Amino acid sequence: MIRYVAIRSLTAIFLVWVVVTLVFMLLHLVPGDPAELLLSQGSIAADPAAVAALRERMGLNDPIWQQYLDHLGGVVTGDFGASFRDGAPVAEQIATRLPRTLEIIIAAAVIAAAAGIPVGTYAAIRAGGRVDGFVNFLASAAMSTPVFVVGSVVILLFAQQLRILPAGGYVPFSVDPVQHLKLLLMPAGTVALALWAVIVRMSRGAVLEVLQRDYVRTARAKGLGRGPILRRHVVRTALIPVLTVLGLEMGTLIGGTVLVEYVFNWPGLSGYLVAAVDARDYPEVVGIVMTISVIFVFLNLAVDLVNALLDPRISLVRR
Amino acid sequence: MTRAQRKLILPATLAALVVAVIVLAPVLPLPDVRSMDVPNRFAGPSATHWLGQDEFGRDVLARLIWGGRASLFIAVGSALAAAVIGTVLGLLGGYFRGLVEFVTVRAAEVILCLPPLLLALLVVTILGAGTWPLILALTILYTPIYARVVYSATLQVRSLDYVTAQKAMGAYPLRILATTVLPNVMPPLLVQISLVVASAMLIESGLSFLGLGVVPPTPSWGLMIQAARGSMEVAPMLLLWPSLALAGTILTFNFLCDRLQTALDPRGITAGGALWLRGGGSRGAVPRSARRAAAPKQDTLLEVEGMSIAAQNAGTSLELVRRVSVTVRRGETVALVGESGSGKSITGLALTGLLPDALSITGGDVRFVARDGEEIDLGALDEAGFRRIRSGEISMVFQDAAASLNPVLRIGEQVAEALRAHGGARGRDVDARVVELLRQVGLPDPERRARAYPHELSGGQRQRAMIAVAVANNPRLLIADEPTTALDPTIQAQILELFRSLKKATPDMGLIFITHDLAVVAEIADRVTVMYAGEVVEDGPADEVFAHPHHPYTAALLASVPEGGTDRLVAIPGTVPLPDAMPEGCRFAPRCSHARDVCRTGSPPTSHPTPERRTRCVRWKEIA
Repeated sequence: MIRYVAIRSLTAIFLVWVVVTLVFMLLHLVPGDPAELLLSQGSIAADPAAVAALRERMGLNDPIWQQYLDHLGGVVTGDFGASFRDGAPVAEQIATRLPRTLEIIIAAAVIAAAAGIPVGTYAAIRAGGRVDGFVNFLASAAMSTPVFVVGSVVILLFAQQLRILPAGGYVPFSVDPVQHLKLLLMPAGTVALALWAVIVRMSRGAVLEVLQRDYVRTARAKGLGRGPILRRHVVRTALIPVLTVLGLEMGTLIGGTVLVEYVFNWPGLSGYLVAAVDARDYPEVVGIVMTISVIFVFLNLAVDLVNALLDPRISLVRR
Repeated sequence: MTRAQRKLILPATLAALVVAVIVLAPVLPLPDVRSMDVPNRFAGPSATHWLGQDEFGRDVLARLIWGGRASLFIAVGSALAAAVIGTVLGLLGGYFRGLVEFVTVRAAEVILCLPPLLLALLVVTILGAGTWPLILALTILYTPIYARVVYSATLQVRSLDYVTAQKAMGAYPLRILATTVLPNVMPPLLVQISLVVASAMLIESGLSFLGLGVVPPTPSWGLMIQAARGSMEVAPMLLLWPSLALAGTILTFNFLCDRLQTALDPRGITAGGALWLRGGGSRGAVPRSARRAAAPKQDTLLEVEGMSIAAQNAGTSLELVRRVSVTVRRGETVALVGESGSGKSITGLALTGLLPDALSITGGDVRFVARDGEEIDLGALDEAGFRRIRSGEISMVFQDAAASLNPVLRIGEQVAEALRAHGGARGRDVDARVVELLRQVGLPDPERRARAYPHELSGGQRQRAMIAVAVANNPRLLIADEPTTALDPTIQAQILELFRSLKKATPDMGLIFITHDLAVVAEIADRVTVMYAGEVVEDGPADEVFAHPHHPYTAALLASVPEGGTDRLVAIPGTVPLPDAMPEGCRFAPRCSHARDVCRTGSPPTSHPTPERRTRCVRWKEIA
């Protein structure tokens, strides 16, 4: 087990390094001068003086290996430099906004898992029936509808037509807890819908597969009732792949709440990223991308370790 | 055309329809998408504008159809580009392995370490918004997915015999890849393409929505939704139309992908989720119809008479076991012997109500005498009734202990579960009883083994644990289905010894030992019942049957056992007939060297050479 944790952790650190390097290469290996590229708008050429100033600020005049080391060092120390737009330290902005994004993701994951696992399990034990067909259709529809469509329609419905929820915005929990939760409800619910669909499909498939296993027959042979069999033998084993997928999806969401934050005007990390991309604020973009990637990699690591705890066989398997 | 293929027609037609409308946009008589008509902004549907006009008075329907063009062009374009690049990378990586594998597949997989939307944003930051940067970003994004799919498919194909043969004949690798490997990886590739088109549309519309994708005034669904949000209060329909178009199109492609997957891999789904473990039924009580007073004969534990088992599927019925009779007395060991396909395992499963979902008992009388002396008709028992007698009255040891034990539960918990299911022991008593059981089945250091997971035990130890589960509630009848088949010969002997010692410890327990191994039978059985092609062909005390078989099949089986006494091994020619092609007359006749014309007409009756013995051979006197 300790060996497994060590190997997986080293792999994670290696992946972070790969991502850091990749981002660096993406900026420097694209043909043309990065500074010029960043400053040009469409076909309008950039002002040479501005380009020279930017080259100086970005350290582009240093030898490439020193730029790379600076880039690496920035990630290790969490210092992503100052924003081009307002000169504020990027790391500080990230620290304020990241928890807000995580809040949406965690709330969504909890809602999706609580609503998705029971529904998926029920659909599985009624496989081929009407409820199953209906659930499958709902899940397909939920997966096929982009989050910004769901978000926009939800605002239209609850904020514009029914007027029971605020259309969007953010109030810190410490200022007004009730309003904070009200504002959280729609963005979290919107993210949860897509996640729910994934969880329903996964848990349905996993339960169906486990129901066919020999050890379920053994459980019947012991004289266990179908309730205990479902709880102890079927769902427990089926949960392992479901939780894996949930963890991976949460990782994807860290960069994927962009649209939801935008639609609901939630000042999280992703919204910050869009603004940074829009303004081509290089330190901001790199800082956010790096933060998200690092969390993504370590979340994957956490998923693997939790899996190893749930399924004792995993830590023995060499990858 | 199979059912799965027929089910493809609807989604394929829908997808074709959507694509056709969008592709034909320039030919359709639509108003210009850019001609504004500001006085009529937000106008409702009219004869000239079927879906009304937008915030600049432009025709909504026309913009909807043209907007699909941008989405579809980007999605299909990047899906195909990524498919081509990914396929090449996957083929090369999977075929050549080694260093090539590292620089193609593994390198591409690094991209999967980044959240997808993030990567797209990064590319857009560097290259600026627009159709082509978007296609590039999505191509980069989806290439590793294809590379992975093709790679794993290639790995499977490359080791197949006909690929190895081509290699041996000196064909060039590229030729092999193009003519042999590529066609074989096409099915998973097709599924991926429809999946990626749907997914690419999701991302494209999202980026366009943010203003980072398609650049106005080119119409796009993402842009239309974005614009409609501003005028949501005035014209909610403007929001709904592009939303429906977008979600509907993506749904169509996902739908197509689902059906494609089922059509290409029909193994998929069994109805009814293991039939929800056979329904609930009455709450645990043995139904009155299944009870009968007074045992027929003293000492009888189980009496099976003329039991038939059939597979029912869509109105057709296929008989797998025909009029089987077996009797087990208290303390007796009966061996159920036969080749694979003789129906012996099914017979055992039927006695515990654990038949596979499609099978059921279709006839005969199956009586079991319970501990309280009451007789139970197993044929009339429902799941709840079986639940009550399983483990405590009739218990079962399965062949493959590795698969029959739950991999994520500790051994001790799995034994304890059997104890608790029948409400006997509680709390600390259970733990003590578990250790005692594990010691009884001969597991060394039982306290520690109780905390182990199945994969931490050896094959023989797992089978011992399985047996501990089975005997936890002191069953009156233990059915062991090939319990030694999967084990090494030395371990087999140990497990047999365990069964013998269990019998000694509980002299009243009846044992049905299902096996194809006559050497094992000789070791353990009091009586032997020989099955062939779903029928009992011979039955009697083990030593008598071994000494003087009264059925040619038994004789042939005996001759095929490697034993000191026999000069040479004689294999039985032919194979067991399939259930849907049973010969008329004696089922063994086609393989029997003693067969005469009389054997091929009419099923042979059961003869009783002695009161204790039965045979289903008409010529038993002549061949004895």
